[in-house]
Amino acid sequence: MTSITSLFAASALALCAWLPAAHAQTKVQIGIVTALTGPMAAPGVFQMNGFKLAAEEINAAGGFTVGGRKYSIDLKVYDTRANPSEGATAMQRLATVDKVPVVLGELSSGVAAAIAPIAQDFALPFILTVPTGPNLTEQNNPFLFRVNANNHQLNVALADFLTKQAWSPISFIAWNNDAGRGGVSGIKELLPAAKDGYVGYFNVGEVDFSSHIANVRNSKSQAVMLFMDEEPGSLAIKQIRDAGLKVHLVGTLAMGSDRFLKRLDAQKLEGMLQYNAFPPNADVPRIKKFSQLYKAKFGEEAHGFSAQSYDGLMVAVAAMQAAGTVSDGKAIRDALAKINHTGVIGTIKFDAKGQANPQVYVTQWCANGSRRILYPDAAKAGCGAG
Amino acid sequence: MTQALLEQVINGLMMGSVYVLVALGLVLIYGVMHVVNFAHGVLFTLGGYLGHFFFTQWWDSFWMATLLSMLSVGLVGYALERGVFHPLHGNLRNQVIASLGLILAFENAVIALWGPNALQWKVATTEQLVSVGELRFSVHHLGIIVLTMAMITALGLFLKHTRFGTAIRATSQNQEAALVVGIPVRRVQWSAFALGSALAALGGCLVGPLFLVFPQMGDVPLVKGLAGILLGGMGSVPGAVVGGLILGVTESVSTLFLPTDYRDAIAFMVMVGILLLRPQGLWGQRVRGED
Amino acid sequence: MGLKGLACLLVLLVLASAPWWAAQQPFLLHMLVTACVLVVPAVGLNLMLGHGGLVSLGHMGFAGIGAYVAAVLMVDARWSFAPSVLAAMLAAGAAGGLISLLCFRFRGHFFMIVTLAFGLMLHAVMNNWDSVTRGAAGFAGIPRPSPLRWGDQVWSFGPLPNFYALALGMAVLAFALQYLVVHSNFGRSLAAIRQDERLARSRGVNTLLYKTTVFAMGTALAGMGGVLQVSFLRVAAPASFTMLESINMVLIVIIGGAGSLVGPALGALLYVGLPEMLRLSNEWRLVIFGVMLVLITLFAPKGLAGLCARAWQWLIPRKTTAVAKP
Repeated sequence: MTSITSLFAASALALCAWLPAAHAQTKVQIGIVTALTGPMAAPGVFQMNGFKLAAEEINAAGGFTVGGRKYSIDLKVYDTRANPSEGATAMQRLATVDKVPVVLGELSSGVAAAIAPIAQDFALPFILTVPTGPNLTEQNNPFLFRVNANNHQLNVALADFLTKQAWSPISFIAWNNDAGRGGVSGIKELLPAAKDGYVGYFNVGEVDFSSHIANVRNSKSQAVMLFMDEEPGSLAIKQIRDAGLKVHLVGTLAMGSDRFLKRLDAQKLEGMLQYNAFPPNADVPRIKKFSQLYKAKFGEEAHGFSAQSYDGLMVAVAAMQAAGTVSDGKAIRDALAKINHTGVIGTIKFDAKGQANPQVYVTQWCANGSRRILYPDAAKAGCGAG
Repeated sequence: MTQALLEQVINGLMMGSVYVLVALGLVLIYGVMHVVNFAHGVLFTLGGYLGHFFFTQWWDSFWMATLLSMLSVGLVGYALERGVFHPLHGNLRNQVIASLGLILAFENAVIALWGPNALQWKVATTEQLVSVGELRFSVHHLGIIVLTMAMITALGLFLKHTRFGTAIRATSQNQEAALVVGIPVRRVQWSAFALGSALAALGGCLVGPLFLVFPQMGDVPLVKGLAGILLGGMGSVPGAVVGGLILGVTESVSTLFLPTDYRDAIAFMVMVGILLLRPQGLWGQRVRGED
Repeated sequence: MGLKGLACLLVLLVLASAPWWAAQQPFLLHMLVTACVLVVPAVGLNLMLGHGGLVSLGHMGFAGIGAYVAAVLMVDARWSFAPSVLAAMLAAGAAGGLISLLCFRFRGHFFMIVTLAFGLMLHAVMNNWDSVTRGAAGFAGIPRPSPLRWGDQVWSFGPLPNFYALALGMAVLAFALQYLVVHSNFGRSLAAIRQDERLARSRGVNTLLYKTTVFAMGTALAGMGGVLQVSFLRVAAPASFTMLESINMVLIVIIGGAGSLVGPALGALLYVGLPEMLRLSNEWRLVIFGVMLVLITLFAPKGLAGLCARAWQWLIPRKTTAVAKP
């Protein structure tokens, strides 16, 4: 090429770079904080699955529209390994380096407490989808929102149900962390029958419940509440049943899924109750649709954490659309404060403290390995529909 | 009340035997090399994971899988002794630091390779139950106690009545004298390390089917095993046994009277208290020069 | 002042001016604050471990004492920042001194295991004493230090660059303390004790007094670090003071170079910086740290500081006589 031709070619190319990409899709990065490693890594997977499912669904439909343009979602994920300092570092990075418009996630209340003030510092809305510590929404932080029920809401629903059963005394075996301890102290306030029962704490990683079981037996309790996740839960229940302890079992929402069933078998689980944010087989269209989607992608039954996280991301997108922006954190926050969104877990509407009020269910395992819904009365359903 | 006490004592003996298995491996290594291998816990975990791997991938037999796991981890122990602990011989601080590094490396490698979720290892003996009065225990659990007793006896006999066992005892008493007498001290050292590691792997394989195989499964047994040998007297095999069992029983019985969230703290306080009164542990001997 | 002193001053100037050259990268400032928060307890542990030869595996438990004492004072009793820091350091130092008296009844491995046990016990208290520490969910709502005023000028610690100034100041203070201690008679006796305790004792040194004092100093610094951390994060959670965090602190001191004056700074910067550089691997980065620790103990026991010193010597060989050739 002669020098003039090459100059012309170069200028043409440069000019093309300046032309707006009329039909190219722009990406919006959405920040995610969760535990991918460390002791909370197992529940972290469920949280991520929910986010992934929502992002893929939106992107498969060509993205979401704001102000006449289509945007696809790119998840920027940081591993906080359940450590408050890492959480703060991740949030700082999302706010100042990645400059995302909204952040979702976190598993542990202690870490969320370190992240929330940074959200406020940078006017970056932070939507919780799993942590249940009630004091998170008591810090007057206008940029903090929570999609899932907190310990207080869960306990109120459960206490309501248990009072009707009139079991007394009630004992507890709980994780010695924020979820376990918070659950126990919350329920004790609401249930007079819990006063005389035995309270046994164990550290994350401990696996032998024999001493707790012996004490439950001696307290002559009629029911035992298990405040822990799937893995220790499956061990505790097996040990309780093997020991021949005749008690009603009450568990957390982690103990209401098929995956949990695989760890034990239906005979050991039969009769066990749990509070549940999300009964995957309920005969409700929005729940059925999500369960099918989840099963198709991940090959197993949907988990409550995934449903909550899926809704969280959908709400964030809806807020961006309502606010008409994919970058103005303050405007997105204002949109979130007013939003009324129908999610998989129900209607999502945040109160003045940023807390949503989702329905809490109580489900029970049947002999054939399916579940039934016992509470609320309006949602009662037979075996197979839980 | 007495039934509750009895039940807790039996529970304590069961958990205690797991601690004893870990403590035995630690004491063997300490006796011969005067180093506390803090990485013992991750060898326990590795044993559990390898046992599960062999069980699901190669042989459907619990015993074969356990044996293979013990051999593999024994080899790892040999490699660690040659590569890390022997070169740092005499430098206590660096040995401990290196073992902390090993913990980080192994535990996270396990998570990276097998994922953070717990694995299930279905073995028939965990399902079969045995009744003792009103109480019921699983065959596997009782099997752990029986096997631990057998291991203790076997180890005792080995140390007292075989040539190599005597060589191990000699080396642990006085290394230089053993060298003088012609004992192959180096061979004794890496054998003890390999044997101790194999014992850790056995612990992991025994506990895995009962309590799930997960990345942090070795952490609690390590701390309890350490506390056990501290209590019983470092370098003493009977001490390790008694220390482990006492710890297990104290833990269980304490839940009858004291708040369970402080259970570990209480167990440690008891241990520190006993050590203040008898710093060499219950069975240990005051060694001149080690203060 | 010497070449080394000049180098230190230069580094200090660069760090102090960070708010200006890093103005466009607030995340870098955040990393530097995190490094300062880690370096303060690390200096304390360096005094204990590097200079005193005491391997404590429960160091962060004492940082937790400082953190929670300050939290309760600042939030429940409405104290201001400076008195809370002093109270926290006093509490952590006193606890360290008392606990160390118990620990010194043991030697070698026993000592380390007992410090580990105490770290676990302290963590249990932080996690379970709900009425005071707010338990496992964490003590939220801890304020930044109240703004400084003179005339009508108000200087608040909310914005990151301002808090960074505080963090850097406290880190420099910690290093200054370390320098003073090490270069004093106290420090020289401490070195003697570290090298051969029995010999020192036979020369009339009250080894128990020295060891207890250095342990208390180390834990007081840990307490200071704890206050800085919770003021930065605005929450105090037991998860920040676990056995794992104590082990990480040992990692920082060893990799940086135990016993060297700048070791803690190098270790803290690497600990904070490496994950950012290797952001692709999550578990693998911890595997890398673990392997690094093993390699350093085997091949570079003086840590990064030792490697730097060797590099320095290679670059600027000092004149030696034929006899004194290294």
